This record gives sequence, C-alpha cells and structure tokens, in this order.
Amino acid sequence: MERQITLREHRFSHTDIVRFTVIASFTLSSILITAIALSRNIGTLYSQLLYFPILYAAYFYPRRGIILAGLCGIVYECLVYFSLFPDMFALLSATGQAVLFICVALAVAYFTNKIRISEARYRSIFENSLMGVILFDKNSFTIQLANQQVAEMLGHTTEELGQMTFSDLFFSRDFQRQFFERVGSGEDIRNFETCFATKTKEPHWVNLSWSRIDDTVVSCAVIDINAEKLARQVAADSLTQYRQVTENSPTGMVITEHTRIQFANPAFSSFSGYEPAECTGRDLADSVLDQDRERFMTFAGRWNAATPVPDRAEFRFATKSGEIRRAVLYFTPITRNNKPAGLINIIDNTEWEEYREQVEQTKERRREMMRAVAHELRTPLQPIMGYLNLLLHDPHSFGVTDETRQILDRCTKSVDQERQIINQMLEVSVVEGEVISLDYSVFSVLGMVNAVIASGGYAIKAEIVIDIPPNLTFEADRQKLSYVINALVANGVTYSKPPKKIWITYRGSSALPFHRLAIQDNGIGITEAQLDKIFKPENDGSAGSLGHSTGEPGLSLAIGKKYVQIHGGYISVDSILNIGSTFTIHIPKKRLDQGDRHET
Amino acid sequence: MKPKIVVVEDDQPILDLMDILLKKLGYDPVLIPNGLDALTYVRIEPPALILLDIMMSPLSGWEFLDRLRTEYNQREIPVILFTASPVGAERMAELHDPKLGILQKPVTFDELKTTLQQFLA
Repeated sequence: MERQITLREHRFSHTDIVRFTVIASFTLSSILITAIALSRNIGTLYSQLLYFPILYAAYFYPRRGIILAGLCGIVYECLVYFSLFPDMFALLSATGQAVLFICVALAVAYFTNKIRISEARYRSIFENSLMGVILFDKNSFTIQLANQQVAEMLGHTTEELGQMTFSDLFFSRDFQRQFFERVGSGEDIRNFETCFATKTKEPHWVNLSWSRIDDTVVSCAVIDINAEKLARQVAADSLTQYRQVTENSPTGMVITEHTRIQFANPAFSSFSGYEPAECTGRDLADSVLDQDRERFMTFAGRWNAATPVPDRAEFRFATKSGEIRRAVLYFTPITRNNKPAGLINIIDNTEWEEYREQVEQTKERRREMMRAVAHELRTPLQPIMGYLNLLLHDPHSFGVTDETRQILDRCTKSVDQERQIINQMLEVSVVEGEVISLDYSVFSVLGMVNAVIASGGYAIKAEIVIDIPPNLTFEADRQKLSYVINALVANGVTYSKPPKKIWITYRGSSALPFHRLAIQDNGIGITEAQLDKIFKPENDGSAGSLGHSTGEPGLSLAIGKKYVQIHGGYISVDSILNIGSTFTIHIPKKRLDQGDRHET
Repeated sequence: MKPKIVVVEDDQPILDLMDILLKKLGYDPVLIPNGLDALTYVRIEPPALILLDIMMSPLSGWEFLDRLRTEYNQREIPVILFTASPVGAERMAELHDPKLGILQKPVTFDELKTTLQQFLA
C-alpha cells in the first residue's frame, strides 16, 4: 500500500506541475488577450477566455479554482476599470462577470467534489474489498475491470486480466458450459460454485455471484473457496480410501469420533445388522449390550485422552434383530479432518466363544463323570479293604492261618493298588482341567530322594545308586517332585532286567538355568513309538505294559510330566532298546512367578 | 463308658463294616442310614463324634453339617467326613471348621484308628 501511495503522490505531483503550468499560462494569456481586446475595443472576447483556466482549475483543485476565479475576477475588473471608466454600464457588467467567475468556479468545485466522493466510495469498495470483483461485458464477456483480489487469487496482474475474457478464466470446458447455462437464464446469480484456472493452470475453486449493473456491464463478486473445497475433497478422498481398504475386509471396521460412527464397512454392517447408511451417525455404545455398556464407556473414555493409545477389550453387542454377539474391539487412534478419531476393528468371536464354552462344558462334564465314577468305584472298595484290614490286624482271633494270611495280604495289596489307580485317575482329571498351585519350599534333594526310595521299598527290589551332592537344595513343591521321582523310579524298577540297577544322578551345572536329575535304568528300553505315548494319560499301559506287574499305573508318568511342567520344567527321555532308559527331570533353578507358567 | 460315635451312611455294607471296626477299636457305634434321622438323634443324644458320608439323599452330608452347626448350634461335636467323593477336601478347607476332618474312602484300619484318636484326644 505504501508503495502505491508513494507512486500516486509522485504521479500527482508530476501532473500538478503540468496542470499548474497549463493553468498559469492559460490565465496569463487570457488576461493578456482580454487586456489587448479591451484596449483595442474588441467587445466579443472580453471575458470568455478566462473561463478556461477557471473551469480547468476548479475541476482539478476546487479550492484553488475558486481563489483563481476570485483573482481572475479582480484582474478583469481592474482591466475593465482601466479601459472603460467611466462607462457605468460596462463597469457593472464587468463586476457581474467577475462574480459569475466565482459562481461558476463554486458550482464546478461543488459538483466535481460530489462526483469525486462517490467515485472514491466505489473505488474503495472495488480496491479494498476482500472479495474479488470483476466487471465484464454482458455480450462479449471481455473483462473491463478486475480488482487486486482476483489478480492475486489467480496469479495474474490486473492488466493481464483486462485483456482476457471472463470465459477464459474457467478451468475446464465443463465449468465454462455450466457458467454459460446460468448466465443464459438472464437472472442475477448467487453462490455459483465453479473452478477457475490460475495463471499456472492449477484449478482454483471460487464462489461467484453476479448482477447486471446496466445493459452491458455485469458485476461479479468472486469469493475464494479453494482451501475449504480442497479440505472437503481431502476428507472425501480419505473416506474413499477407507472404503476401498475396508470394503472386502472380513473384519468389522468403523471410524468413530468419540463413540459416534462416521464410517462403517460392510463387514460391520453385517455384524450389527444395520444397513451401511444406518450405521453412519449411530452411537457405537447403543449397540453394546446394556450389561456391558458401563464397561464400554470406560473403555471409550480412554479414547479421548490427550494421547490415546491402541487398546482392546471384549464386549457383547445386540444386533438390530436383537441377537447377542461377542466381539473384541481393537482401538487405534487416528486423525481425520484434523480431528482425533478412532479406527476400530471389531472381531466377531461369537462362534469361537460358543465353541470354547462347549469345549469347556465337555471338559467339565468329563471331570464330573470321572468324579462320579471314582465315587462309585471307591465305595465298594471300603468294605473289602476294611474287612481285610480287620482280618490281618488280628488274625488269631479270626482263626486265620499263616497261609490264609499270605493270601489276604496279596488281596490287600491289590485293593490298595486299585485305590491308587482311582486316585491317579482323579489326579489326571484335576491336572488336566484345573490350575494347580505349587507349594514351594527349599528342601534337600538327597533327603527327598532317600525318603522316596525308603517309602517305596525300592532298595529291596533293585540296586539303587544315588549320586547327589548332600548339600544340594531345590526350591520347588516337595510333595509333587517326590511324586515324580517315585513314578520314575517305580517305572525304572519295573523295566530293569535282573540284576536290576537304578542310577539317580544330579547333572546340574552352574551355567545351566535348570537343575537336572537323571533316573537311569538298565532295562528293556523304550521304542520311538512308545516314547510318544508313555506320558499321555490315554496310555493304557499296552505301550510296554507299564506298571502292570508292580502296581505303578501308567497314569503316574502323565501326572509326573504335568507336575514338572507347572514348575516350568520338562522331562526328557533317552533310551536304547535292551540297554536302558534315562529319564531326566529339568527343574528351573529360579522359581517361576505366577503367570509365567506355560504349557509345553 | 465307651465314646459314642454316630455313623451316618446310606451304604449298608459300609455300615456293617463300621459297626465291627468301631467296636474293635473300642467305641460305641450308632448306625443311622439317613441324615434326617441322624439329625434328630444327634439333637437328643449328642455323640462324641460323627462319621458322615457326603453323597446321601434326601439330606446330603453338607446339608447335615450345615444344619448341625447352625440350626442346632452343635459346634463342638467333631465331624469326620467319610467320603468317596474327590471334592470333599476342597470344600472342607473353605469351611475353616476346626472340628471337621476327612477320611477318604476306602480307608485303612490304621488310618481310621489314627484319625479317630486324633479327634477324640
């Protein structure tokens, strides 16, 4: 703006000089001619010449024009006095003439000023408006005038615009055609959205309103809507992108602002039962089952955090038809239209849950059945065991001979074995179905192994070689590990060939995270095929007739394996047919924390 | 006088056995084959100990125990659950009853002897 003012001042001062010269020379020559005319008595040229400088000056400089008119009046009066005195009529007419100069100057100044003010008003509107303004010819569409705003908007100068036609401004023929159609209607148009081309041939969105000023000129207001239009287009584009990406996804996907759905893909539509159009604008919370809604709102509340993080949770939903479906929601924070939004993947796990429940139910039924079976099997054992105990407790009072006693002893062993089988069967159902808690303690390994050997009476059945450092301790569940060792030693004793020999050796090293306790026999060994089976509860013992002759049922290995696993360890087996087998128990040196436990 | 032990058990062979065993151990057994009758009896003549089967009808061992402890306020009589059911021990632990024990069927003569001595000491 400053530059323009300077420029304008410069121009004005330049024209001022020219005008001053013109007015001065006009005035002086007019006075001179009038003086000569008066002295030569040429009546026709008296005063009219002086109107030229007066009109000229009054037009451009109203105030100075009046002063000039006054001066001219005085000079003229003086000249007339000097030439025509004492002609009274001539003197009066000259005075009248002088007054007329001033009146004409006043009139000119007044009207020029008025015109100038109104022009300035329009000019200020035209030049300073934030809107673009173009005046163009109604018939030829030539641009008569365009303001700075339009020029800046399109990258042209106002001069360049002056040489173009209005129809050249459009970005494409389509926009041009639309414009001609609207113009053809002959009405004044408001808010006609169209696209102009900039000087660099880029599209630029504008909003046009035009009206006829007179029969030929049309004034058109141009509002820049490019930024807004682009933003809208980007939004539309990103929505299209989402649509393309999510269209064929089997996963339900929605984009939400808070919990309100802005976009939903077909998979979500079929999950919720609502048509895609119905989904948009719905509140996701409305689809959540009443019982889960509070939890959902807490979950959704975290989406509005200053920096939301991806999150997941499972909820039940009610579909449009009222069906209940389960789904896991994965929330990912995204930005949409410069606003925080959420991309939510909805994975329907209704069927999976139902299946899982069924499996759970089946498992539970199986456990129940095992318990019932155990109960039914144990009850009749009680009288048998009770009476046998009674007879053996006091054989003489019942007249039991030594031979009968031996028979009864064998019966007692069988009943006891039966009892153990039932207990182990139950144990399997428990270890398979429930979480077992470990009762950790620190104990001497050698002490534990010795106790197992003693209680099982294994030293009589085989030669037991124990090589365990006397100060070695484990942190584990002593009872459960005793069970494992007992099972493995019993197994070894069963399959050893005479002379039976069992080695129980500690093979840990400080570098290993596991304690290793090996139980080796000189037995018949285990084939590859049997290896797979011996630790399974389904093992019926046929794989090597485990346990049949000693009373240690095959179930004990399955239970033992489980016990070691819940310690975070495992049992490995090395076996060579007819040479022997080595079972190695691996127990972590560092106690497992809750939750670290995993199935192996 | 011999300590009186009430055996609540609906299985007749076991009742017969317990009769002999308890007598052998020097107790005075009272055999009652259903829980309701047993409750009535216990109320009138409180025994030294009750051996209680769990899986019975119409009154289960748990119901018997609950009514004995709360309705009849008999909290001092030791009760030994005498059961073949594997869930007895878990539920027993939840009750935190110091006068409650368990014997898992089938029980040996020695186990029976030790447990009874322990509770009647």
